[in-house]
Amino acid sequence: MKYMNYVKYTGVMLAVSVLFAVTFIYSGTYPVGADNKHNALTFWVLETLRTKSIARASNDIEVPPLEDPQLLLTGGADYNDMCAGCHLKPGQEESDMSIGLYPKPPNLTIAAKDHGHGDEHGESNSLAQQQFWVIKHGIMASGMASFGPTHDDDRIWAMVAFLQKLPELDALQYQVLTARN
Amino acid sequence: MSIKILTVVTTVSLMLAAAVTHAHSASEHKKKNAEKPKCEAINNMDHSKMDMNDPIMQAMMKQCMGTGNKGSGNHSSAHKPDGHKGTDHNESKPKS
Repeated sequence: MKYMNYVKYTGVMLAVSVLFAVTFIYSGTYPVGADNKHNALTFWVLETLRTKSIARASNDIEVPPLEDPQLLLTGGADYNDMCAGCHLKPGQEESDMSIGLYPKPPNLTIAAKDHGHGDEHGESNSLAQQQFWVIKHGIMASGMASFGPTHDDDRIWAMVAFLQKLPELDALQYQVLTARN
Repeated sequence: MSIKILTVVTTVSLMLAAAVTHAHSASEHKKKNAEKPKCEAINNMDHSKMDMNDPIMQAMMKQCMGTGNKGSGNHSSAHKPDGHKGTDHNESKPKS
């Protein structure tokens, strides 16, 4: 009898919780403007979900050699065309996109550990794995597009190779490497 | 009838648009007013202080050689460190 009461109360609590959640969703009261910020709990949930998901999904990706200078030219030009607007160039601290997007896109001209993503990146191999995965698949509802449908793996790896060197580049080096001949 | 025609036209238009915006080559990123690499600045640098084994420097040299803006003949030997003589950089293209 006691057990039945316990099950009944749990069921009622669960139903009330679901009803509350559905009501909240349909009420439209949650602010979704990018000029707002998530509350701390929502931010933690989304950030943790994102970092853990990317780490798991990219874990088995085999990283090819990335030292070929030609990769810096191929990847640099693509980075300049497709990424720099949000992820910036050497000597640039912000852009309309980097200011306006939420969550704020990481500044890739500084090393990963310095832009608040150190824990997720770890060593350079896992950094390269995760960068490849993110460029190829994008991140839902973050402003990060997936380039896999329009760019083959070789071109994405070239961008990853460029990203490894980007924090070391000054403005002139960046200009030379990213210009398209 | 007109709704059918409109539907067909809209569908075909959307399919064409999708085909045009799908996978594209690097050449499609080229713009008519694209900025050229500032190779003069590289050529004016003191090459003796450059680390020619640095992939960044090698890539910059390669970029500037491609534009025909390479420095004087005195620099050409410096552009090819021993470890890269006769190297075809495309050989080490990554495999996905």
